[in-house]
Amino acid sequence: MSTTVTQDMSFLHLITSASLLVQLVMLILVMISLASWWFIFRKLFVIRNEIKKTDDFEDIFWRGVDLNALHQRIISPRYDSCSLERIFAAGFGEFNKHPDGTDLEAIMESTRRAMRATYQREMDYLESHLSFLATVGSVSPYIGLLGTVWGIMNSFRSLSSVTQATIAHVAPGIAEALIATAMGLFAAIPAVVAYNRYASRTDQLATRFESFMEEISNILQRRAAA
Amino acid sequence: MSENAARNSSHSEPKRLTAGVLALLVHAVFIAVLIFGLSWKDHPPEGMMVDIWTELPQPVQAPPKQPKPVKPEPQPESPKTEPPKPEPPKPEPPKPEPPKSEPPKPEPSKPEPLKPAPQKPAVTPPVKKPDIAMKQKPEPELVKEAKPDLEEQKKKEQEKIKEQERLKELEKKKALEKQKELETQKELERQKELQKQKEKELAAQRQRDQEAKARQAAEAQRAVEAQQAAARSQVTNEISKYKALILAKIKSRIVMPSDLPGNPAVEFNVTLLPGGDILDVRLARSSGHAVFDSAVERAIFLSKPLPLPPDSSLFNEFRNLNIKVHYRE
Repeated sequence: MSTTVTQDMSFLHLITSASLLVQLVMLILVMISLASWWFIFRKLFVIRNEIKKTDDFEDIFWRGVDLNALHQRIISPRYDSCSLERIFAAGFGEFNKHPDGTDLEAIMESTRRAMRATYQREMDYLESHLSFLATVGSVSPYIGLLGTVWGIMNSFRSLSSVTQATIAHVAPGIAEALIATAMGLFAAIPAVVAYNRYASRTDQLATRFESFMEEISNILQRRAAA
Repeated sequence: MSENAARNSSHSEPKRLTAGVLALLVHAVFIAVLIFGLSWKDHPPEGMMVDIWTELPQPVQAPPKQPKPVKPEPQPESPKTEPPKPEPPKPEPPKPEPPKSEPPKPEPSKPEPLKPAPQKPAVTPPVKKPDIAMKQKPEPELVKEAKPDLEEQKKKEQEKIKEQERLKELEKKKALEKQKELETQKELERQKELQKQKEKELAAQRQRDQEAKARQAAEAQRAVEAQQAAARSQVTNEISKYKALILAKIKSRIVMPSDLPGNPAVEFNVTLLPGGDILDVRLARSSGHAVFDSAVERAIFLSKPLPLPPDSSLFNEFRNLNIKVHYRE
């Protein structure tokens, strides 16, 4: 903590003259912010890609394609499949594995289980890192606040050695402390916005997957009965 | 199932690196905004007090003058600027002058019109003469028919002459009117110029008057200040003089005790009444020798009334006197 009254209020000077704890808080916040922005962009691309591919797959599926051909295409290792395609592939693969004499109820049950398992995995993948964004959004303001409170504490403590207290004695310390809060807010605000947006998007995708699972099981049941 | 799981991890993330680069970019922008946003605030606080202070005293002197000076100041400028302008205006008069150059011809013609005026009577008589001739002629007409032709020719010639004269007169009148108009225009212009000159002179006079007033005021202020300073110095002189007188009078009344060691000094606080009477004497600092203290106290009471300046307004300086007396001078 600088006890001298400095006229240099540049951003870098404020950071370098801050106390160790405040600097530590700033470092943590910078790393958190970098990670959260990285995840924000990653999830942006993933979810956008997922929605687009799901639209395309549903479009193709309801046009009445041969299910065997569709399954073969999805299973092929070169094909870049989406979650819904993998759910379909899991269900259809499980449905075909059963020999012809098996009970219909048992076949449908195992098919549904296979699809449910894949659905859970896919949802887990889609929702990965969303909890991190939520944590950043709720915690980073507090981390920033901790740095600020600590910095202000120090700047006021340095006043005790001065007989005549002027605002110039306190201002630099408070300014550098407030940078920590600014960093915390900078990390938190986009994280919260992104979390809410991506959570609603994955919810929408989840309902689409679930309804598709019901529909595909109906189709497969009819196919087995026929 | 194992295939699916493997595919999940391998294929899952599109544009992972791009996301990282974008995140770094966002932070770079944020830091740049912070650095430049804060560095803006470094420079402005430097004050400009000196300029403000140098300008303030002038308005303070000016305000009484301002209402008037404001007008003159533009006016002095206008005279300055107008001198150049008057030249352009002069070129304008020259424009009228070209007409003037034409008028000058009429001007010499002025005498001419005057001459023609006498001529008119001269011309008219011949007209009348022909009338007489006419009266005379009708008689010859009866006699001679060939002569009337001549007379008619004469009449025609006379008529032509008359018409020519009328035309000349008309032209002269027109010329005169033009001249008058030009003269009136010139007079108007002259009057305007005179007015402008008068206004300028008035403005200049006002300016001079105001400047003179300002100088006088400044001089008066200086004089007053000088007087005040002189008065102050006089006052201080008087005070110190009378304090010295008081001390001298007291010292003259002291009966000094003999053989005191060193140079002891005693201090008394003396409260005076107007007129020099002593109201109260208190020992402020003893000399250490009661004999010397009492001797000085007695001397103070003996020396009343103390000499005071005749100016009663200075009495406040003497109301509470501090008198310090040394044993040896």
